[in-house]
Amino acid sequence: MNLLLSDDYLLQDYPENITNTIRSGHSTCVRFNRKGDFLASGRVDGTVVIWDLETMGVARKLRGHSKNITSLSWSRCGRYLLSACQGWKAILWDLQTGKRHREVRFRAPVYGAELHPWNHLQFAAALFEDQPMLVDITDYADVRYVLPSVPKRPHLETDAALKEKQAKEDAKHMTTAIVYTATGDHLLAGTTKGRLNIIDARTREIIYSEKIASGVITTLRLTESGKELLVNAQDRIIRTFIVPPNLSAPNLDPDTIQIPLEHKFQDVVNRLSWNHVAFSATGEYVAASTYNNHELYIWERGHGSLVRMLEGPKEEQGVIEWHPHRALLAACGLETGRINIWSVTSPQRWSALAPDFVEVEENVEYIEKEDEFDIHPQEEIQKRRLDQEDENVDVLTVENGGGPGEDVDAFRMPILFNLGESDSEEEFVNVGLGTLRRKSPGDQENDEMTGEERAAGKKASGSGRGRGKKK
Amino acid sequence: MAGISPETALPATEPPSKRRRVQDDSVDSTPSCFESPDGAPQSPAPNTSRLPDQSLSIRHANLHAKPNNHHRHDQIPIIPNYQPHLVLQGHTRAVSQVRISPDGRWIASASADGTAKIWDAATGAHLETLVGHMAGVSCVAWAPDSNTLATGSDDKAIRLWDRVTGSPAHAVAHRENPGAAAGLVMKGLTGKAAAARRARTGVPGEGVRGGRTGRGPLLGHHNYVYCLAFSPKGNILASGSYDEAVFLWDVRAGRLMRSLPAHSDPVSGVDFCRDGTLVVSCSTDGLIRIWDTSTGQCLRTLVHEDNPAVTNVCFSPNGRFVLAFNLDHSIRLWDYVSGAVKKTYQGHTNKGFSIGGCFGVLTDADDGAGEDADDNGNIRQQAFITSASEDGDIVMWDVASKAVVQRIKGAHKGVCFWVDVHGSTMASAGQDNLIKVFRHRPRGGRLKRENGVGEGIDGVNGDDEQDGTPDAAMADEELQRRIGASEASPGLHVKEEQP
Repeated sequence: MNLLLSDDYLLQDYPENITNTIRSGHSTCVRFNRKGDFLASGRVDGTVVIWDLETMGVARKLRGHSKNITSLSWSRCGRYLLSACQGWKAILWDLQTGKRHREVRFRAPVYGAELHPWNHLQFAAALFEDQPMLVDITDYADVRYVLPSVPKRPHLETDAALKEKQAKEDAKHMTTAIVYTATGDHLLAGTTKGRLNIIDARTREIIYSEKIASGVITTLRLTESGKELLVNAQDRIIRTFIVPPNLSAPNLDPDTIQIPLEHKFQDVVNRLSWNHVAFSATGEYVAASTYNNHELYIWERGHGSLVRMLEGPKEEQGVIEWHPHRALLAACGLETGRINIWSVTSPQRWSALAPDFVEVEENVEYIEKEDEFDIHPQEEIQKRRLDQEDENVDVLTVENGGGPGEDVDAFRMPILFNLGESDSEEEFVNVGLGTLRRKSPGDQENDEMTGEERAAGKKASGSGRGRGKKK
Repeated sequence: MAGISPETALPATEPPSKRRRVQDDSVDSTPSCFESPDGAPQSPAPNTSRLPDQSLSIRHANLHAKPNNHHRHDQIPIIPNYQPHLVLQGHTRAVSQVRISPDGRWIASASADGTAKIWDAATGAHLETLVGHMAGVSCVAWAPDSNTLATGSDDKAIRLWDRVTGSPAHAVAHRENPGAAAGLVMKGLTGKAAAARRARTGVPGEGVRGGRTGRGPLLGHHNYVYCLAFSPKGNILASGSYDEAVFLWDVRAGRLMRSLPAHSDPVSGVDFCRDGTLVVSCSTDGLIRIWDTSTGQCLRTLVHEDNPAVTNVCFSPNGRFVLAFNLDHSIRLWDYVSGAVKKTYQGHTNKGFSIGGCFGVLTDADDGAGEDADDNGNIRQQAFITSASEDGDIVMWDVASKAVVQRIKGAHKGVCFWVDVHGSTMASAGQDNLIKVFRHRPRGGRLKRENGVGEGIDGVNGDDEQDGTPDAAMADEELQRRIGASEASPGLHVKEEQP
């Protein structure tokens, strides 16, 4: 609704400055929900924290893991969150109650677990030194299906020795990343040998496999539409591919599948490798956090050109996430575990402060209207004014069905009041660009939440000021 | 005023058999609707015979004004017809604001006696008295889940309350001193007793400025807190104060999130639009400002040429318009995108007090025609505007034609400060320490309406038929009369002064 009044959409569509730093424990991974109003973060101690992006405050804390959280995945409705940890466990949380809805134990640490895009009771998990799994948690007793990492070989070899050798080789082939396609009919999996597999989620067989990188594939990500695929591999190259649109066609011939490479992004000068990658909301940009370096790189996908290197705090950034529809980027600092948020800031338009203010590029001479200073009797003006109000107004109908994320019976996160008190660990929030005044002095009872409100920062403050003071 | 008297209408006296729908979406309207449930002297017969006449005249007026396109033309418009239902007694001083919870089941009231009370909207039963403020309470707001209540007071504090327990909506802090706890959680005490107890125990200044630990109040305003609004998600609370600022609070943490340097006079009203991205604030400096919730920037400023003080503001149900209550006996509907006044509603008295009103929406279900009306599966909706009036009336207007569609005469003795509508329920607050609840009753049967003959008989809502007359000309005359009459009244009084 604020879009009616602001021209913020004219602003550039990739983030520029650090605007917030939020922290709860040491976060290692973050994920936005579909609507983009909440950010889930997973901590080293296994706690999952849900942040409200509107208030930049904690909305929920979920305790159930005891090891480092490795991945998070939201359900489409935003009510369920799947978290996976190094402690061989994945938990599906119900955010309505804050309790675990399902819990699945594996026999290996989990690299990543992703929910089916349409069915929150099904997910795929990539496991450490084990074959990936498709897990159905419709019932309390979960049903697991092992997924292949290598395509079936044609049974031509009759030589037992060769067969055994192949089997051994195949056993070393592990899946390190797995995602669902947009429809949920297929899975895209990346392997230790740099292969990309397309797995039919129904038959659980590899229908296509190709070597796309020379190193271990570490991250696979799709755009919201599911048409573009982003691959990060240990060969220092980030690649984008076009996902075949006809994957879900009923008469799909696996032999015709092609996954054309679109771009390769790399820093050949500095020979950087990339910690984590993310697509922007529309897939127009690609962002990456750098290994052993503080910067975030943003490329424009259309031309494949580097558009921006984001300076942040002097800290290497790990997992990064692009907001589902805003120019906002969240990244976890590796050392401190802080979540840094970059976005764009628009200046106050002074013309908004009074109805007759206009912002002009240069001075203009005011030309008085013909009747501007005519004097009419007050009653006549009043009457004329009232007579003019014959336009029909509609105060009920919501135009264009509301903005993004305005579903009628969407899930609503409950408002909890007793957060933090149960937590001995300090926790604080900085609103980097808040126009807050410091409250009057003489309050002895400041706790860690106060004192964060700093003097009105009119200009986009740099990164260094995002630190809060700690008591 | 005919119809109801506070003595006969205590909630407890209502027989259970007369309890009616709790929510507005229940359809059937039983014949008992035509009786006065509070046992007031009112016979059904004249009531029904009066109704056809009234509705005829209203339809007539609509034809005069403009074809109404809010609904299919072959149908009779839904016209508000709110009749007295309950009188809620308990406050010992004027009631400044009354709000119906978003689920329609509860009524919260704020009073100059320093307490807020929660009532059952269906039975009128008094449920809780919220004691804790050290001065009069000016405003009250419901969280969207109807489980949390915020109150703002002249003691500069905002308190959050749990509806169910009636205690502050926060976990207990360890350092809380027991005296404070006793002062805070006195349930069920009313009026003077509570005030006396509060005076004895004294509530120490728990809580912190600009933040809160435990269950202290939200402190930060430098002057009286005057208006409150929750965001649609319930995560943000906006407050307006005599210190001329609008504060946005993180409800969960009780933390001051943002302070908007809003106005140059006391902030008299705040509201969130339906998607929560905009906040509107108004002030007696005559400005209405629209803010971006996420950035805290002012996006638009609306000022009427004559610059009348604005005392209350709210968004239209679809969020496209802003309704502003001006101290020149006018309510203006602004299109905030174009920055123009689309409609001016007149016919009530508003010169010196900060009175409130809102949009009301009636559907076919409320109009007792739930089964037959939604032939296309569409629920017909009709919006109207309602406002309190300083002469104690409650006035309702058609949004498009600006005609007065109903006037509840003398709803309160003295000033009626606030009206809130939730479907078929209407609640009003007045200077006479009372809260009144009204129920919409369909205007007779549809068939009767077509050929109804009836002479205007004194009903509850008026002393003669002129009162219900929606005709614009008549309304104008009425307005002139009232303006003339109120000319002599003193300057700006806002709601209720504290001693």
